[in-house]
Amino acid sequence: MDLSRIIKRLVLTAFVFFGAATLNFFLPRFSGGDPIAERLAQLGDSGGTMSADALSAMIASYNERFGLDLPIWEQYLNYLWDMMRLDFGYSIAYFPTRVWTLIGQALPWTIGLMITTTLIAFLAGSFLGAFAVWRKNAMTGTLMPLMMVFAAVPFYLVGLLLIFFLGYQLRWFPTGGGFSPLVLPSWELDFAFNVLYHACLPAASIVLSSIGIWALAMRGMMVTVAGQDYMTFARARGLSDRRMFFSYGIRNAILPQVTTLGLALGQVVTGAILVEIVFSYPGLGNLLLQAVRGADYFTVYGIVMILVLTICFVTLVLDLIYPLLDPRVRQGAP
Amino acid sequence: MTKGHASTGKPIPASPKSEDHIIVLGTTPAHERQFMDRLLSYCRRNPAFPIGLALLCFLVTFAGFGRLLWPVELAQPLSATPYLPPNAQNPFGTDTQGRDVLAVTIAGTWLTMRTGIIAAALGTVLGSALGFASGYFGGWVDNVVNWIVDVLLTVPAILILVVIAASIQGQLSSLSMAFIISLLAWRRPTRQVRSQVLVMRNMGYVDTARLSGMSGFEIIVRELVPNLLPYLVAVFVLAVSASILAAVGLQAMGLGPQNEPTLGMTVYWMMYYSAFLQGLWWWIVPPVFVIILLFVGFYMLSSGLDEFANPRLRQDIR
Amino acid sequence: MAPLLKVRDLSVSFVTDTHKINAVRDVNFDIAPGEKLGFVGESGSGKTTTALALMGLVPNPGRVTNGVAKMGDLDLLGLSRDEIKAERLRTISYIPQGAMNSLNPVQKVRDSVLDGMEDHGVRMGRGERRAVVSELMEKAGLPRDASARYPHELSGGMKQRACIAVAIALKPRLLIADEPTSALDVITQRRVMQTLDRVQGELGSGLILIGHDMGLMAQFVDRLVVMREGRIVEVGSTRQVFKSPRAAYTRELITSVPAMPVRRPALQVCAGDRPGHVEDDDTLLSLENASKTYQRGIFKKDVVALKPVSLRFSRSNPKIIAMVGQSGSGKSACGNLMLGFQKPTTGRIMFGGRDVATMKRREKTDFRRQVQAVFQDPYASFNPFYTIDHAFTVPLRRFGVAANRAEAYDIMAHSLQRVGLEPGATFGSHAHQLSGGQRQRIMVARAVALRPKLIVADEPVSMVDASLRATILENIRQLRDDFGISVFYITHDLATAYRSSDGVIVLRRGRVVEAGLPDEVICDPKHPYTVQLVESIPSPDPDQAWARVREPQEARSGEDADTFSQAVIRSRIPGFSIRSGTAA
Repeated sequence: MDLSRIIKRLVLTAFVFFGAATLNFFLPRFSGGDPIAERLAQLGDSGGTMSADALSAMIASYNERFGLDLPIWEQYLNYLWDMMRLDFGYSIAYFPTRVWTLIGQALPWTIGLMITTTLIAFLAGSFLGAFAVWRKNAMTGTLMPLMMVFAAVPFYLVGLLLIFFLGYQLRWFPTGGGFSPLVLPSWELDFAFNVLYHACLPAASIVLSSIGIWALAMRGMMVTVAGQDYMTFARARGLSDRRMFFSYGIRNAILPQVTTLGLALGQVVTGAILVEIVFSYPGLGNLLLQAVRGADYFTVYGIVMILVLTICFVTLVLDLIYPLLDPRVRQGAP
Repeated sequence: MTKGHASTGKPIPASPKSEDHIIVLGTTPAHERQFMDRLLSYCRRNPAFPIGLALLCFLVTFAGFGRLLWPVELAQPLSATPYLPPNAQNPFGTDTQGRDVLAVTIAGTWLTMRTGIIAAALGTVLGSALGFASGYFGGWVDNVVNWIVDVLLTVPAILILVVIAASIQGQLSSLSMAFIISLLAWRRPTRQVRSQVLVMRNMGYVDTARLSGMSGFEIIVRELVPNLLPYLVAVFVLAVSASILAAVGLQAMGLGPQNEPTLGMTVYWMMYYSAFLQGLWWWIVPPVFVIILLFVGFYMLSSGLDEFANPRLRQDIR
Repeated sequence: MAPLLKVRDLSVSFVTDTHKINAVRDVNFDIAPGEKLGFVGESGSGKTTTALALMGLVPNPGRVTNGVAKMGDLDLLGLSRDEIKAERLRTISYIPQGAMNSLNPVQKVRDSVLDGMEDHGVRMGRGERRAVVSELMEKAGLPRDASARYPHELSGGMKQRACIAVAIALKPRLLIADEPTSALDVITQRRVMQTLDRVQGELGSGLILIGHDMGLMAQFVDRLVVMREGRIVEVGSTRQVFKSPRAAYTRELITSVPAMPVRRPALQVCAGDRPGHVEDDDTLLSLENASKTYQRGIFKKDVVALKPVSLRFSRSNPKIIAMVGQSGSGKSACGNLMLGFQKPTTGRIMFGGRDVATMKRREKTDFRRQVQAVFQDPYASFNPFYTIDHAFTVPLRRFGVAANRAEAYDIMAHSLQRVGLEPGATFGSHAHQLSGGQRQRIMVARAVALRPKLIVADEPVSMVDASLRATILENIRQLRDDFGISVFYITHDLATAYRSSDGVIVLRRGRVVEAGLPDEVICDPKHPYTVQLVESIPSPDPDQAWARVREPQEARSGEDADTFSQAVIRSRIPGFSIRSGTAA
């Protein structure tokens, strides 16, 4: 096991986490007044939907930790400590709901959507890309340029198109939401189908536009692998086509592809979040949109922190998996 | 370390070719062709480049001439009757707030491209400077720069930008967005330029320049930069595309100039007023179409450029 | 005896949009069972394509346009795609240049051996597989446990042996070895070729060796085919081809290989006036216990490129000193230290009584002018963005050698003439418009123009056509005689080192193993490593046979055992002093 890789990743994660927390803490305080305090004051003025009691409780809890009476480094340390415990405080918009509660409700939707679609797109895309190099024919010849177009377009624009054509014009699929408004969430089969039915379009838009990314990358890898000496030697030994394609071709080309997956993770997360927004899907993306609209800073920061941590965690998992796939990094560099 | 082979095997002297070994069919041989011919033949083999260029030229013309031929003030709310389908007065119809969709599309294309170009220009200049310095000098400069880029690349730009933009939401204009985006637009150029410089600094001519008494700074400016210019263009194009992606993404979340008709804000308003459910297809189709053209154009251009300009891939076409 | 393979009128063409290349034209040859046939020629001569055609592996857009290749009743060229595939490995087997990347990097060696057998319909039980694999490992001279390793865990020589093991699994009747050892060092090359020789003898199969190294051919094959531009220009027994070549091209090939001097006891050379000692005030440049270690990250081991060594060049008595070593021996690291391109990890580089690392700006400029270099790759030495004038005008002006542009061009013209180039035809051209030999001579001219005291020449002729090598080395030698310039000549080639230097240093793994006059070090080596090195170089004379060495298993070969550490410093070299290791 290549320990240095893992240690480097852990240190990197710590830095990212620390950096994000620091940014979240200082940015509002240095952008001309404290927008959070202003926002709270503004709520107090307008009354809003919040009862006066709730509001004063909110302000009290905010001041207790970040009030102006504390020195800024103490506020900062408090904040870091909270972040380390993943305590994001109360939502401004839905006081006294805690940010964690909101995130907890949204997270399963996002993770479910993102993991399934990314896996499908990664596997199918990689296979298609490899196949396009292996068998050059009319099918792959027309498919690849089409994929190039889809790969270029952000996920959510594909989503908009799907909503317009399949949702609005043909009315085959619902245009948004995680399930029908009149259905109550339950562990019934009906509800599961309802959820799947609603997930079709968001999932399709992610898969459609990211499958091309993987296919194109895999095509490049396969071309590189096809030119390697071990492929020449394999051919000169008269190995079967199956073995050449799977054990020699895909087996080697998938390695850089896994690395690319780690690098593209941020892109995938960003894309998925915007797709949720387009489809009003009840995940983190939509929650983020609501929080931005409602100037609910604590929720915004909480979501950002959770997403950052998720990305770091998945990258770490990929780092742990990679040596299993590639014997060359298993023992570390010689 | 030099690349000398370990064996004593010597390459055998090349000798003049007899005529029937290699027969040239029709056109002049590759080495006699001029740059333009090479470019043309490259385009024929790799149509992504000319198609991308054509798409972008079309959009630039559309936005540039459109501003002259069509009153873009109509992109402001309440400049026409709302909810109008396409008609003689408003060829693309009007939206729910009474903006003329044609004017919005023209002005939006212009604003969005401007945002992307400004952010990318700043990002490319800063990124190239950092990339050259860290790649050429190495040592602790390289370690620090590389580490920061590593940390920043782990987090998707849009998450950082959301935090920044959300904190100063009220004061956003399309210009200030360009600056905000440029805060992160240097990461990839740094990485790309650095990796090229790492290769280039081992080239013999860098050693020749050192023997000629040139300082490190001089070598970068006089020896490396001229050779990397085509690649820097490719880096810039990629950066423009990435900046536009970030800008449109942020604006689609509502984090953008509330009173400027950028393409991203148009997408936001479209969703805000549920244009789909109201069946306002004329409001949806033009801006979305333009954004798609924009991204496809940039994607094709940069994938074509990359192969043409990347010194490491260039051997194939020479 | 009936030939194993009979090839008649074989022609292969590559047709693209713009060109038709007749890569192989009307090639005829036979090969008998047990015979070793060599194919030699420059790249593009069609020697590899001929071999690929026999296996049905001509790459697109190539086509076999004519010919038959009879192996008994079987016409290899007339088989369908699936039929020829079945014959590969079973009948004709290919041995690639294995040191690079010829084995699937994610498979153990064992699996690479077995997958070919399996795909050719061999069904075996577990025990049988193990027996087969260990037998093949044994045959190829690999330790038994090598079969359970991945390719990246093997050394270059072991990888090549693994390729041999893979290729002979089905006991083919014909082996085709395509430059099998061109990436290995000469010592390993000799061992691997001996293994190949034995394996082929045991199988009794024919062998085709493709290569460009005339020396290797002379030592290894029975008959030689010389190819050029797709045609066979000469065929004959190896002895006949080397002793009385008929084609002019063959003669050219043979003379292009510098022959090694004959081994003989060194003459008692009367070393110069001031043997092996350079006075402090006569020192031009010196390395004082200088070593170089490369750091490789926090968790990785550092790499020692050069162990502490002390050298001194005399100012008054300029000499050409050759440093000889295989790649990775640290010779280029040593050159880079001298040029001040890298700082030594320990010790100092002194120039004119000052430490190069701590020089002030003015001193540094002077050092730069006085210590110049000629690099291995003459093409890369010129910035493609500028004309070659740039490489002259910048230093001439900067070092104040020329007061103005016109004077710079005068000096430039003069120096170009010195190396035999026409200035008018050279001014203003880009490097890619010139030939390799011209470029390298321009680099020499550039060094001359600056009138340095020392030139570091790092493999200056290894990428230049053989016919020009002598000229360039002669140019370099003139530098010493006409301008009093010392030369530090870095090379892997013992023959040119012998010819052109006043002193030879042999480097191995960053350590000086032997140093002395060329006649001593190369004709009468004393250090075991130098002996091995000199013996391993294949001579282009079939009579001067490769000494047979015991064929050790690669893993515990002498290459890995670091038994000799004591440097053998022979009689002293005038105008130069050397000491290895840190001063006691």
